[in-house]
Amino acid sequence: METTEKILTTAKMPFCPGCGHGVCVRSISKSLKELGYKPKDVALVSDIGCSGLVDPLFATHTIHGLHGRAPALGVGVTLGLDNPYKKVIVIQGDGGATIGLQHILEAARRNIDMTLVVINNLLYGMTGGQMSGLSTNEFKDYKHNDDNTEPYDVVNLAHQSGAAFSVRVNDISNFTDVLKEAISVQGFSLVELSSLCTSYGMKKVAEFKDFIAAEEKLMNKRPVGVSLKRETNSLLENIKGLDTQFTSTINDSIGVVIAGSAGGGIQSAARMLAKAGMLSGLHATMKGEYPITVGTGFSVAEVILSKKPINFTGLEKPSVVIAVTDDGWNKVKNRITENSKVFVDSKISTERNFETKEFLKIGGKKGAALCTVSHWIKESGIFPIEALLKVVEDSKYAASLQNAIKSADDL
Amino acid sequence: MIDASRIITEALVQSGADVFIGYPITPSNLFYSYSKERFPEFLAGPDEISVLQWMCGYSAAGKIPVTATAFPGLALMTETLNMAYMMELPMVLIITQRLGPSTGSATTGAQGDLKFIDGIISGGFPLPIFSPSNFDDAWTLSNEAVKTAIKFRTPVIILTSKELVMTQKSFNINSLETLEKVDTTPKAFEPPYQPYKAGEDMVPPFFPLGNNEYQVRFNSSTHDNDGLIRKGTPESLANTWRLREKLENRIDEYTFFELDAEEGATNLIVTWGVTADASRDAVYSIRNKGEKISLLIVKTLLPISKKIYDIIDSYDTVTFAEENMTGLYKEMIFGKRNNPKVKTATKFAAMLTPSEIEEIVK
Ligand SMILES: Cc1ncc(C[n+]2csc(CCOP(=O)(O)OP(=O)(O)O)c2C)c(N)n1
Ligand code: SF4
Ligand SMILES: [Mg+2]
Repeated sequence: METTEKILTTAKMPFCPGCGHGVCVRSISKSLKELGYKPKDVALVSDIGCSGLVDPLFATHTIHGLHGRAPALGVGVTLGLDNPYKKVIVIQGDGGATIGLQHILEAARRNIDMTLVVINNLLYGMTGGQMSGLSTNEFKDYKHNDDNTEPYDVVNLAHQSGAAFSVRVNDISNFTDVLKEAISVQGFSLVELSSLCTSYGMKKVAEFKDFIAAEEKLMNKRPVGVSLKRETNSLLENIKGLDTQFTSTINDSIGVVIAGSAGGGIQSAARMLAKAGMLSGLHATMKGEYPITVGTGFSVAEVILSKKPINFTGLEKPSVVIAVTDDGWNKVKNRITENSKVFVDSKISTERNFETKEFLKIGGKKGAALCTVSHWIKESGIFPIEALLKVVEDSKYAASLQNAIKSADDL
Repeated sequence: MIDASRIITEALVQSGADVFIGYPITPSNLFYSYSKERFPEFLAGPDEISVLQWMCGYSAAGKIPVTATAFPGLALMTETLNMAYMMELPMVLIITQRLGPSTGSATTGAQGDLKFIDGIISGGFPLPIFSPSNFDDAWTLSNEAVKTAIKFRTPVIILTSKELVMTQKSFNINSLETLEKVDTTPKAFEPPYQPYKAGEDMVPPFFPLGNNEYQVRFNSSTHDNDGLIRKGTPESLANTWRLREKLENRIDEYTFFELDAEEGATNLIVTWGVTADASRDAVYSIRNKGEKISLLIVKTLLPISKKIYDIIDSYDTVTFAEENMTGLYKEMIFGKRNNPKVKTATKFAAMLTPSEIEEIVK
């Protein structure tokens, strides 16, 4: 049912005399009115360019953004409103469609329920008539522009990306009807309207038709894109507190570096050590370092255990350095000080003579780090090995972790 | 053991943030994964420009959106961040610093983005930048970030660093008090409603797009009280000027810092973010040796309150401790020029240590 409330605030257009943009604006307003939309049921999103000067003309809600980004802004407005009774209309020029093409494809791919009107005057009107990515070769020839790169077919691109409805209309007498069809579609609709720029194009509409791309109309049947909302639980909910059950001989603080290769259980051995420390009444920190390609190369972890709360989490002088593979050793060997206690696997060739044992052979590839940690815990007596066994108790891999811990006895 | 990414994410949701829109980037990836689990709504954007544009759309529709990125993403977001600022859209951006320039080293922490962020709003307009220094701050400042975003209708940045948000620590989560959802009901105003007409508090009442009561207009270009483009009119220029005033004149409503002042000390360490914990340890060690020292941990980095200047001015010698080349916060306060009263304890591509800070202070 047609509404009686005015969609436009004025009949006076801000464009140059004869500019096609005025026809486009009036057609959009007419189609909304004929479809029965009240001004407050519409959010108009406008771009930058002469085609972006439209927001003051509309009595609807308006949001006037950046060059090329209006379709992305429209996606946010549509999903943010999440209300099928509110219509989001986005208007941009061919220049806007060029710089922000990705946003159009994304809105189409997600089939967001909004209508994008691309007002194509084959040029950047506002900046002086330069050619855009939608300028046709015929038009570029006419403008003595020697670039003959084919233009984008934004209608087809939107279709290929999944738009529910995309169409190019050149005949102004059909603008309103096609817009009504597009606005009524559920999902993403794109309407490319041709518009003559009388200042930088040509004077007569009759001539203009020889320069514009042919009309086309394409459709996809797809579900409308929505953003799911759900109930979630606190991220702190499943964090288990670790109550002190063991005692530690550490009076100050101790820093441990564990180094090996990706997939060698380095990070988890460090985490278990930290937790065992917490079960023994200590404060703990843990951080990992590995290449961006996490599945290969070195893996290094640092653990600090301390009687006092820990502020600085860096490790200047590690008290203990554990290395079970060459990858790991090469990464940490420079961090050793005279006071560091060093454990290296016997396969690693070191420049100096450190205490070596067959950690890899005894603990296995995945268990070597944990085996070495266990060896050190026992040797140093910082806390009972039972603390470490307690940590792995509820793990999915409890059996193999316990084996790795116990394997330290066989070294 | 937990990390600050988890704490910040949880605090933002409890404070009423509605939606996380993200694009993955190290070292902000934990925010992405925690948000995917926790936010009432989560969207994976195809790039950072889209991310922030979508956020603007959500914000204009009355929702509080959040994202997390690092310098490369923030660089892409810059134009849209200006748009959000100009439109006066509440939202929170978490920026986790890593080593630059450019792609730099994704997994190396840094404190190198402060100057970029200082000038990020064209025209030199202030933007609230919060910098948590530990897990407790991560909780409370995230809450303050949402409050400030809503109260002042502005984007707010939480500036963190890799080691601060990725390191696991034993931490008593029971010390974190449950947070209340920040109230977003529009405040009373003198009719008629104009989307950018502000009262004495300099912040226009917020109504979302699509509401049935008032026509609203958001505008990224210089605009009047109605939200219509106006070039150079007294009303539109006053409206733009107001963006500065609302944040500068009420700066102490969102200025946070921690001052550990020692009676009789003439030396002050000034620090922020990830270097604060090293500075706390340095101060402990210096005092243990019988020397007097005070510590200022700045948590609202920008804009800078007179309170901060006054504290700094009251000491004879000031050492700035920061994880960057030249002391970027120091340059905010004193410029690049050498100053006999100012020292910098800086470190490039690694965490500054307590002993290195102590060495410079001596
Ligand atoms: C990021 C950015 N780059 C460039 C510009 C300058 N600019 C303003 S309008 C415009 C072109 C507008 O062309 P179009 O979108 O086709 O609209 P028309 O003026 O032809 O209606 C450009 C390049 C800008 N505003 N923002
Ligand atoms: S420059 Fe061209 S597109 Fe812009 S208003 Fe004038 S005629 Fe229209
Ligand atoms: Mg154009």
